[in-house]
Amino acid sequence: MRILVCISNVPDTTTKVKFSTDQKSFDDGGVQWIINPWDELALTRAMELKEDASNPVSNVTVVTVGSASAEPTLRKALAIGADDAIRVDAVSSDAYFVAAQLAAVAGSGDFGIILCGIESSDYNGSSVGGMISEIMGIPSVSAVSGLKLEGEEVVITRDIDGGREELSVPAPFVGVVQKGIAKEPRIAAMRGIMMARKKPLQVVPAADAESYTSYKEFAMPEPKAPCKMVEADNVKELVNLLQNEAKVL
Amino acid sequence: MDKQIIFLVVLLLTLLAFAYTIRRYIGYFKHTRKGFPVKQLGRRFGIMMEVAIGQTKIFRRPVMGLLHALVFWGFLVILIGSIEMIVDGLFGTERVLSFLGEFYSFIMASGDIFALIIAVAILVFLFRRVFLHVKRFSGIEMKHISHLDANVALTLILLLMLSLLGMNTFYIQSATRAGHELVGLFPVSNLLSSWIDAGDYSEFWHQFNWWAHIGLIFVFANYLPYSKHFHVFLSVPNVFLSRLEPLGKVDIMESITKEVKIMMDPDQAFASPQEGAEAEAEVPERFGIMDVEDVSWKNYFDSLACTECGRCTAVCPANITGKKLSPRKVVMDVRARMKEKGPGLVKNGKEYSDNKALLRDYISEEELWACTLCNACAQECPININHPSIILGMRRYLVMEESAAPGELNAIFSNIENNGAPWQFAQDDRMLWTEGKVEVPLMSDMLAKGETPEYLLWVGSAGAFDDRYKQVSVAFTKVLNHLGVSYAVLGTEESSSGDVARRAGNEMLFQMQAMMNIEILNGYEVKRIITCDPHAFNTLKNEYPDLGGEYEVIHHTQFLRDQMSEGKLSLNGGSLAGKKITFHDPCYLGRANGEYRAPRVVLEALGTSVEMKRNKSFALCCGAGGGQMFKEAEKGEKEVFIERTEEALETGANIIATACPYCMVMMTDGLKYKNKEQEISNYDIAELVALSLEL
Repeated sequence: MRILVCISNVPDTTTKVKFSTDQKSFDDGGVQWIINPWDELALTRAMELKEDASNPVSNVTVVTVGSASAEPTLRKALAIGADDAIRVDAVSSDAYFVAAQLAAVAGSGDFGIILCGIESSDYNGSSVGGMISEIMGIPSVSAVSGLKLEGEEVVITRDIDGGREELSVPAPFVGVVQKGIAKEPRIAAMRGIMMARKKPLQVVPAADAESYTSYKEFAMPEPKAPCKMVEADNVKELVNLLQNEAKVL
Repeated sequence: MDKQIIFLVVLLLTLLAFAYTIRRYIGYFKHTRKGFPVKQLGRRFGIMMEVAIGQTKIFRRPVMGLLHALVFWGFLVILIGSIEMIVDGLFGTERVLSFLGEFYSFIMASGDIFALIIAVAILVFLFRRVFLHVKRFSGIEMKHISHLDANVALTLILLLMLSLLGMNTFYIQSATRAGHELVGLFPVSNLLSSWIDAGDYSEFWHQFNWWAHIGLIFVFANYLPYSKHFHVFLSVPNVFLSRLEPLGKVDIMESITKEVKIMMDPDQAFASPQEGAEAEAEVPERFGIMDVEDVSWKNYFDSLACTECGRCTAVCPANITGKKLSPRKVVMDVRARMKEKGPGLVKNGKEYSDNKALLRDYISEEELWACTLCNACAQECPININHPSIILGMRRYLVMEESAAPGELNAIFSNIENNGAPWQFAQDDRMLWTEGKVEVPLMSDMLAKGETPEYLLWVGSAGAFDDRYKQVSVAFTKVLNHLGVSYAVLGTEESSSGDVARRAGNEMLFQMQAMMNIEILNGYEVKRIITCDPHAFNTLKNEYPDLGGEYEVIHHTQFLRDQMSEGKLSLNGGSLAGKKITFHDPCYLGRANGEYRAPRVVLEALGTSVEMKRNKSFALCCGAGGGQMFKEAEKGEKEVFIERTEEALETGANIIATACPYCMVMMTDGLKYKNKEQEISNYDIAELVALSLEL
């Protein structure tokens, strides 16, 4: 069985987000790119499944949709342990477009398990996974927090309100994974980074697909107001500030 | 003549057996890795004279130290007599060295007195081992065989001394009876001779003791290489072969440097895969230590020279607080594993495997991750064994081959890689600590104005991001501004020094950080660096030169002391006058770099300085080094910082002074844990100076 892990190339979580002057696009100057944290967990679980010799997993492939600048992130996925990587040579524009590209890649190989993170930490669209399964006409399971193989059978755990459910799903399917799928994200070892240099990274042209949405404007959140400290026993001052400055009383 | 032939046969048998043993060990050594080259022979000779012959480090525990030193010095004197016995035995001569005259008498007299002293010392040692429960003689590594070995060796030494005294005593009687003139002086044996009279048998007993003594030497010599008392032969050479670098310096892995350079060069980093055999040949051997053939020759030499005294373990902060780590065990495990695997390696070559390894079968990950890299063990070892290099080597294997570090450490590796600090803060926020607090000049602004500051201030990640330690950065820059010092900071161009990554085993990440920082520092032509962080101090000072960064690095306590001695800074306690201050030595300022005085000079000018029980080179680590700051402590009875805080509280001080961001966090936590944060404050020395100057 082969596993495909869909990787989103996202800005590091400490990035100071800036937008272009027309406020219509993200300004990616000087940004450090990382693997989307949920995708990283999906990849970690895929590697664990492959390394457990009792599982019939033969190969883990990673795929991303993006320009050549996304390749270091794919290399990192290879360094973590993926066997090969595919980059769909296109600038990702919206969730449907990306899902169509990923579905095309997933359909072209004999993948039994297709994993996506539940959301990406940049645009938080949370829709690609479900769309892939729709396009391919295969089942999908959302918010997967546990995934194991019992022979060829895929057993999935999901956290539900007040408990947990376990279900079985026939391969091929799309698993949209949640935190908990792996304990901690695996990081690349030196040895892995060296091996990654020799692993295949295939670039494929984009499939024909529409983008159905486009960005009109981005806006930064209002900066937080500065904090005012009031002496612990000065209740009068506190009431005064709440009444006259914050105007909440 | 018969005596000579028998002696020759016995001597040859002894030498043959010994040669066989040594040949085996040489075979094992061939399966270790290359370590540092043995250069600077003059300096090595000096260290040998001081530490081995002078026994300086054994005196760190004065009472037992004195007994050991007497035994050692006694052995050296008696050795001359033993050499004489071998010559006499071979050539049928009698007391061949007697031509030395007065000096001979002196040697014989000293040997005679030392024989008694050693015998008494050995009895004390045996008594301690058998009847007193000395804590450092126990531990998971101290099995029945270890105790038996110690007692057998001690008994042999006792018999050696008794036979020597017997030989001398009956020599006196026999010579006197035969009317010969006595050659040599024997004060102790003279006394014994007046108590014991062997009469006609005196020559027989002389011969008997002579043969017994030389026979015991031969037995002892062949027993030692299989015993922990191999120490007797190897400790002096082991000291001669000491690692000469400062304790805090970690040796660079050149195989990693090569790889990191490839990674950081965009043209090469992801070049198309190389073809066939050429590419294969370039794959470096294993990174770090997994099994015994990955240790350096010196690590193995250390393990053979170790006599299991346990002084290392007795000072280990992890061990003291009930964690599984024992530095002595680590060293003993190297020896034991080579004993197990060495014969197979010699027979079948380096590909040999017995499906076991030093890592996990002998030394567990729990032990390795309990180490704070405080170097107390290496500092304490009387024969300069370097335990941390083995521990770090194994961490390197875990991290760089298996990425098997604890999750919290993996997280800080990712943070350093992505945002240049162990914490998740943006590089762009590195100057936020100054806002509204203090004016701090930026290197880039200075350059734009065509100015070159005298000093670069290395703020460090903690100085920029840790809420408590930001106050120290503010205090110290206020002092610098007050003194009118010409300095600047890198600001957003600064990145983690890589110290924590390196000590957690991630040599790759360390080198990437170091190379990046060095490029920036060299770009600004920085010559002198001041820092408040002893870890950055140690790394920049001792480790960056290996990667092309040569700077004069000064810790802020040294800088303050120099300003005082140059008359630029005059301190009086101000509001601190009359306060009792105790100083907690940071490991990377103290043991790692030998700076104990500078912080004390500053503190003595401010208030009344009181010392903790363990101070200076004996100081206990705060518990945060070696990556511990960022992870849960391993399982134990107590946290290290609580132990250290309790010790600080025992002094009755009003203020605990620190000089390191990690120590600051740990001691502050300790005061909170002990509910003492209202009564006792924890300040960095820079803050105390700023307070006294009312800045």
